[in-house]
Amino acid sequence: MTKPHIRNNIRKLRFNHDEMTQEELAEKAGVTRQTIIAIESAKYSPSLELAFKIAAVFDVPLDEVFTYEIQEAFE
Amino acid sequence: MSYQQRNVTVALVTHLLIAAYFVINWLTMYTTGGLVDKKVFGLWLTVIIATIAVTIFGTILASIVGAIVHAVKTRSDKPEQFIEDERDKLIDLKGTRVSYITFSIGVGLAMLSFVLKQPALIMFSIIILFSLLAEIAGDISKLVRYQKGV
Repeated sequence: MTKPHIRNNIRKLRFNHDEMTQEELAEKAGVTRQTIIAIESAKYSPSLELAFKIAAVFDVPLDEVFTYEIQEAFE
Repeated sequence: MSYQQRNVTVALVTHLLIAAYFVINWLTMYTTGGLVDKKVFGLWLTVIIATIAVTIFGTILASIVGAIVHAVKTRSDKPEQFIEDERDKLIDLKGTRVSYITFSIGVGLAMLSFVLKQPALIMFSIIILFSLLAEIAGDISKLVRYQKGV
């Protein structure tokens, strides 16, 4: 069994939103830039509340920002 | 380096210096046979007061220096944001857990020294030493987690 993994499309979404900076996203989501860096590089899985906040910043559903790899988790 | 990382680094350096001061003085007393109540109580008092005072002034100094460096780097008068988010709180909790575990080991060793008929001064010295080591272990844990992500 491998470790459950949450992937994200934050980098792509930032690019699609006029190359939004990590600082801007952090400010809009109410967290530090370091937290955005950690989430983007999949080193930290955010709480459900923060995940929804990030999705709301990009105005997309949650599953367009984060995807959970169920198959890999239960192998 | 974030505001929280800077504070943890300052605390780590402070705790390392105070622990070194305590160990050097305690060993000097022990080897020269000067491990008497009055001197040891004086050392404990110095260590406890120094820990409180240096941590407060260190944090204030780090904040001032950090604000100056931030202003120079960004070339703006917009102040640095001191947000503590969920990741900071999680890292803080995990660091505190490491501190408690380390301190528990120290209390266990102190009890063991008492069982082995060592003087009470040794027992309390072990507790003071492990309270400092617990802070150091907690700070290191926090810094490692800030580097790793969580």
